[in-house]
Amino acid sequence: MKSIKRCQGIMSLVLILFILGMAALVVKIQREASFYMMNSGEHQLGKVYDRNGDVLFDGSGKTEFEDNYLIDVGNLIGDDKGQMTNTLVARNIESLNNYSFTAGLVESGGDASIHTTIDHEANRKVYDSFVGQDGCAVAYNYKTGEILICTSLPSFDVTKGYDNILEFRSGTLMSKAMYRTVPGSTQKVSTVIAALEIMGADKLFAKSFSCSGSYKNLGGNNIDCHNAYGHGTQNIQQAVENSCNPFFAQLVEDSDLPLKKVKSIFKKMGYTVNDDGCGYIDIDGIKCEKASTTLNDPYEFKTQWGCIGQGDTLISPVQLMMWQSAIANKSGKMTMPYLISYTTDVYGKENYTGKTKFSDKIFSAVTAETTRQILLTNGENHYSSLISGYKVGVKSGTAQVNEGNTENSLLVGFVDDENFPIAFCILLEDKNSTSVKTENIAKVILDSLSESYLKN
Amino acid sequence: MSSKIAYVFSCLFVIIAHGGMLLNVFFNGNYSSINNVIILSAAVLLLDAAYFTAMLFFRQTTYAIDFLMILLLNMSIIFQSCFGGVRLSVKHYITCIVALAACRVGYILCRNHKWLQQQKKYFYIGIGILMVVIVTLTGSRNMWISLGPITIQPSEFIKPLFILACATSIAEQQKKHKILFFHVVYENFALFGLMAMIFLLQWWCRDLGSLPTFVAIYACGFLLRICYPKAKFSKKKLVGAGVILLIVAIVGIKFAPGYVQDRLHVDIWSDPSGDGYQQSRALIGIANGGWFGKGPGYGDLHNVFAHENDIVFATISEEWGLLYSLMMIFVILIIIMIPLINPPRSYFHGTVATGICAAFAVQMGLNIFGSCNMIPFTGVTIPFISSGGSSLMVSGFMTGMLIACQSPVFKQPKPPKKIKKTASQVNYPPQYRRESY
Amino acid sequence: MSTLNLILCAVAAASLDICALVLLLTAYHERSAGKKRWDRMTSFMELADYNVSYPLGCDEILIGRHASADIRLPDLSVSRYHALMTVSNGIWTITDMGSKSGIFVNGNLVKSVQLRENDVIKLGNRRLIFRRKGGC
Repeated sequence: MKSIKRCQGIMSLVLILFILGMAALVVKIQREASFYMMNSGEHQLGKVYDRNGDVLFDGSGKTEFEDNYLIDVGNLIGDDKGQMTNTLVARNIESLNNYSFTAGLVESGGDASIHTTIDHEANRKVYDSFVGQDGCAVAYNYKTGEILICTSLPSFDVTKGYDNILEFRSGTLMSKAMYRTVPGSTQKVSTVIAALEIMGADKLFAKSFSCSGSYKNLGGNNIDCHNAYGHGTQNIQQAVENSCNPFFAQLVEDSDLPLKKVKSIFKKMGYTVNDDGCGYIDIDGIKCEKASTTLNDPYEFKTQWGCIGQGDTLISPVQLMMWQSAIANKSGKMTMPYLISYTTDVYGKENYTGKTKFSDKIFSAVTAETTRQILLTNGENHYSSLISGYKVGVKSGTAQVNEGNTENSLLVGFVDDENFPIAFCILLEDKNSTSVKTENIAKVILDSLSESYLKN
Repeated sequence: MSSKIAYVFSCLFVIIAHGGMLLNVFFNGNYSSINNVIILSAAVLLLDAAYFTAMLFFRQTTYAIDFLMILLLNMSIIFQSCFGGVRLSVKHYITCIVALAACRVGYILCRNHKWLQQQKKYFYIGIGILMVVIVTLTGSRNMWISLGPITIQPSEFIKPLFILACATSIAEQQKKHKILFFHVVYENFALFGLMAMIFLLQWWCRDLGSLPTFVAIYACGFLLRICYPKAKFSKKKLVGAGVILLIVAIVGIKFAPGYVQDRLHVDIWSDPSGDGYQQSRALIGIANGGWFGKGPGYGDLHNVFAHENDIVFATISEEWGLLYSLMMIFVILIIIMIPLINPPRSYFHGTVATGICAAFAVQMGLNIFGSCNMIPFTGVTIPFISSGGSSLMVSGFMTGMLIACQSPVFKQPKPPKKIKKTASQVNYPPQYRRESY
Repeated sequence: MSTLNLILCAVAAASLDICALVLLLTAYHERSAGKKRWDRMTSFMELADYNVSYPLGCDEILIGRHASADIRLPDLSVSRYHALMTVSNGIWTITDMGSKSGIFVNGNLVKSVQLRENDVIKLGNRRLIFRRKGGC
């Protein structure tokens, strides 16, 4: 009988393997069915809401929007037409579909929806504050990670479709906050962080370099300062406040700041160093480009400019804002931003909830605290009247683009308030052609958020 | 007496199961004229009744597999008749009847394993002939022979013969010959050669889809053969065999022809209209059907090539629901599970049952997991459910073999023995030298 | 999909389920029938040691010391594969598998012999009685 048992053993094994396979298949189908349905060409999309229940997108097309009502979020929320692929709807279209394996495709009355963290009212105010000037602004709660404001100009009315797509200006179909741009002097924050990590605060504050408007570096090239008369001898605090280029060039050359260590700290912060590749930060499916820079030799012109904010350095506004969170949190850990507060399935039941997540420690808490003090002092000395009513830590930047023909203005910062923890980044393109200032936009952001966000 | 009651109940419930399906077709189905449903119902119920009547004349120990088979075949008739609109699929109906006949033949041929073992050389000859037929009549890259309106797939017919060739009795495994330090059974080498031949043939035909089935049958047969070594080599041999198989598999994948390589790495969603068309449509079909299906005849998959065999699982899932198609698979599993409930009484039949179990399970696995993009997509069929004459006939024959394992006959075939049961004999009966097998 | 359709689906599925269950029960029922038939075919015989009885459950019974033998006699005097018992036409036959010590049936050294009720089989130092089931 043992012999027959042996046959039965092998048969059981075969059957068990098969049944395990079937179980795996059922699980797979359960998990991926909505993905299959999205590929079938048939779908019944639900709605996207902002944090106050305002409709930002309606897949059924039944909601009537005023003209340009959605213009401030058009290229962030997007639609299902397939023109824009890096938008919230395009990336999360599965969870917006009124389909479940049990219920099938619900033709009408399905409750699939995405509730975003965006504050549409405030976002609209921020959009208007650009007065038509190109650029973008993004702000989030650095304690929780909810993105409250994310607008990008130029934009368009998504409800009108793409008939006149040829007339769209470049950058219309993308949310610029997710894409890399020249950071200008906002990059100096990263350099300060690197210097603090390597030398420690005492040693860095003991350093002083002089600026006479231009500095001939050890490689033989001239690093010009935006102040042609020079800033004289400064310490790090003054250099940050003056945004002095020669100071930072000399700091990079300093033997106490080995470039190898700078590289490793930049990598830890999320830069792609000396590499053509480009990683992405995932924000609820939306791909946000990671920062990149080239650092070869501390005496090299390009490397020095890379640490000052020109050269090959490119950073997306969202990432600049995330570093502000690591500083403002005093922990050296970035708060990961998210857009989706929660989603509901076809029955209206919550099936996903956005959660606060933190990155790994990218620099020490001491560094965070010191940088925070530097930025707060800068904010107090230079921005207290411009952004009145808030205790902000900020760093501005001016970036030369189009081979120096146009100048973009940037402003990154945070509010030092436990009850109003906002970090932001503003990019204003071609600043010389407009009277709008990044500080004005920052004020609008904070005013409108404190109005509507804190109310709830 | 109680067994009669059990059989009456079995008949009743098989008819109720078919009735439930037909009711579903009647109320939920997509048909233009009620006549189609009536014809289908009549055909199904008639076949049920006819088979139950015929069963009265079969003398078997067990009938469970018979009931399961008629249940499954009529289910398959209903499924196949509903694809894209209800009307009786006459072709499938006829092939199902042929399959039932093949089942009887399989039973009658296989029930006496001692007689069967004497015919072993004919299995080899049969496989040889089929291989020659394949080599000469079907071209490379083709596995079909067309005879007027009928197409035959000769490689299917190798399967039952191969299962029988792999089967063995204990006595056979004890006839060992010593070569150097190893005790070997010559037949195991013959079998290995046969497997290699089949492998080369399938390679030549570009029919690598059915290769795993043969490999599985061989693997089971091999495992059951080497379970009776002269003690020491058992574990090592097993491990060695496993390693060899693994190496063969890796080398096979590495040097597989281009079109196989392509199939191994296909992202079906990147180009749903290209290579992955069938799988992506199948998956969408399953998603569309959900748990309870769209209703018989309302599916869209009947527009897809090979909806009635290669991706039949998805087609049924779409129309009847995933739940129902899983239950259909469950019924097939019960058929091959029967030898676990009611064990065969001889090692030969045990190995046959194991081979059949492996063949069915692997075929179902290849078909279902292939069409759902879990493994490379191959063109094998699900036993009983897929349409296709050769496959259905062979499945029927193999089920007949399973029935034979359940209701075996233990008779020494020849020479006819003269046994005197005279207990009065004081002496020991003359020592009876067994015929060598 | 309306409620009626769902109910019908459920009915069809349930009837199939119940049918499968009934057939499984039938198979279990047949298990005992098959066992009885097997007993009849093998003349209700079994092998017995002093206090242990070995059922003869299939048509080839391998007796030996090896772990994979059907009837295992853990005694060094028994070869690994000592003897093979087969049945046909209701008559059991015992055959020597090339053992060292041979088989003695009722005291006679045999190579292969048909067994009768209450034969005493001696394999090495072990004695087995070929007897009717339930005997003692």
